Amino acid sequence: MTKNLVNEYRRRFLAGLGLMVGATLLPELSNTQAADVTARPENEPASSHKRWGMLIDVKRLTDGGAAMVAACQHEHGWGHDPQASAEQQAQWMRVVKVTDKQTLHSFSLPVMCQHCEKPPCVDVCPTGASMKRADGIVYVNKHTCIGCRYCMMACPYKARSFVHEPLKDQKPHSPRGIGTVESCNLCVHRIDKGQLPACVEAAPHAVIFGDLQDPDSRISQALKASGGTQIRADLGLNPQVYYLNI
Amino acid sequence: MSAIFKTLKPLLVLLAGVWILVGCEAGPPPTNLAPAKAKAAQCVEPTADIRKNHMAYLMQHRDATVLAGIRSKQYSLVECINCHVDPKRADGSAVHYEDRDHFCASCHTYVGVKIDCFQCHADRPELANQTNYQHKLGSAESYHFSHQLGTPAVLSLQDLQTITSGGVQ
Ligand code: HEC
Ligand code: HEC
Ligand code: HEC
Repeated sequence: MTKNLVNEYRRRFLAGLGLMVGATLLPELSNTQAADVTARPENEPASSHKRWGMLIDVKRLTDGGAAMVAACQHEHGWGHDPQASAEQQAQWMRVVKVTDKQTLHSFSLPVMCQHCEKPPCVDVCPTGASMKRADGIVYVNKHTCIGCRYCMMACPYKARSFVHEPLKDQKPHSPRGIGTVESCNLCVHRIDKGQLPACVEAAPHAVIFGDLQDPDSRISQALKASGGTQIRADLGLNPQVYYLNI
Repeated sequence: MSAIFKTLKPLLVLLAGVWILVGCEAGPPPTNLAPAKAKAAQCVEPTADIRKNHMAYLMQHRDATVLAGIRSKQYSLVECINCHVDPKRADGSAVHYEDRDHFCASCHTYVGVKIDCFQCHADRPELANQTNYQHKLGSAESYHFSHQLGTPAVLSLQDLQTITSGGVQ
């Protein structure tokens, strides 16, 4: 079931990509994602000299982000917990459709943990399990999570989910289990190895990932050139996920 | 014959009893080291040490990883499982921590230790082509989407400016 869906997304995504390449003939194919993340030596802790961020061009996501969501599901194995009802399924990332009531103009954007600089989920956690790593990644230390779900209430982006049932055969690199809260962890296990997050890899034409603290990184350059919007910037949480064309 | 048996009977019963008691003292059931020995001659620490201290190493390493982002392999739980557990038994069935023949359970059942680690952590290595496992064994080096796409077209800065100034849709 899931597999078919993924294939469908992939086909649609590839079709979209083909169209776009045909239409614009991207000038600089050498300008790749390869240098956006570099591997850290495995004995070295994450450093506060980095601040990972993401810029998503919504107009270029012809599928509204469905391929990104599929890639996330694939990577972390959420979304098909056998006992959970549709509303209970974990959702690390979702496609949100926005429509202007006046003009009926609408567009879709993928929404996941925005990795706030001042995360409310961290403020409310009674055990310190909800945490921000030195390099700005916000996630749950499931070893100390007691499943109280305060963080789910506190998050203005509804980015967190709860696992309600015993699970088996999880992804070895992404442990998830009953009684704990979970959310997008920016694929820490991949970043630490110098790989891009799964969703970024699934939409290379529309997403730039990189170090916001390095003024020469592709993402900093892109943000400098074209701005970019944080969603609910009015809350003052300074998310690390930026959007274009929303 | 039966007289001899009669006189020896108490002795035989006694011997049988002693034999049973000796059986009880036989120590923990042997652990299944075959999968690990097929991959390495030695554990990540000398055997006597890892037997005694594995829980301390694991607990220390999990905080180092999750809190600080240290990714060394030596005390990684994923690596213990990759080396010590086969994805399947010889007959093709899955080995889980609930089974007595799972490497970690083999001792724990005997000594009555309960751990919750495998509520979240995979208790066997990943298999390709399994409903819940979509990756190749042990590596995320090659990723499915990049396979499909070949060399992906990537958004360049110039490109981005064209779009933001209202060029493409
Ligand atoms: C590369 C393979 C490998 C890895 C990784 C590995 N081990 Fe081992 N382990 C072995 C081998 C081989 C032995 C048997 C050594 C011997 O024959 O004395 C062993 C023995 C053991 C024993 C003693 C078993 C007994 O019957 O006395 C324990 C306990 C153990 N390992 C736990 C762990 C834990 C916990 C980890 C993860 C931190 C781990 N091992 C990682 C290969 C490995
Ligand atoms: C509620 C879920 C959960 C439980 C229960 C749990 N873990 Fe974890 N564990 C995680 C998550 C999530 C990570 C982070 C994985 C990552 O970032 O790669 C992790 C990471 C680790 C790591 C570092 C990564 C690795 O494989 O080396 C170790 C070691 C570890 N856990 C050991 C344990 C041990 C030992 C137990 C049992 C006492 C345990 N964990 C119980 C969720 C859990
Ligand atoms: C040689 C036997 C043996 C093997 C094999 C073994 N353990 Fe243990 N383990 C023990 C014993 C005995 C204890 C309890 C020690 C104590 O309570 O002092 C223990 C305790 C633990 C604890 C701490 C539990 C607690 O509540 O403090 C963890 C975590 C653990 N083992 C993980 C593992 C993992 C993971 C494996 C498989 C890779 C494994 N063990 C394999 C014998 C073993």
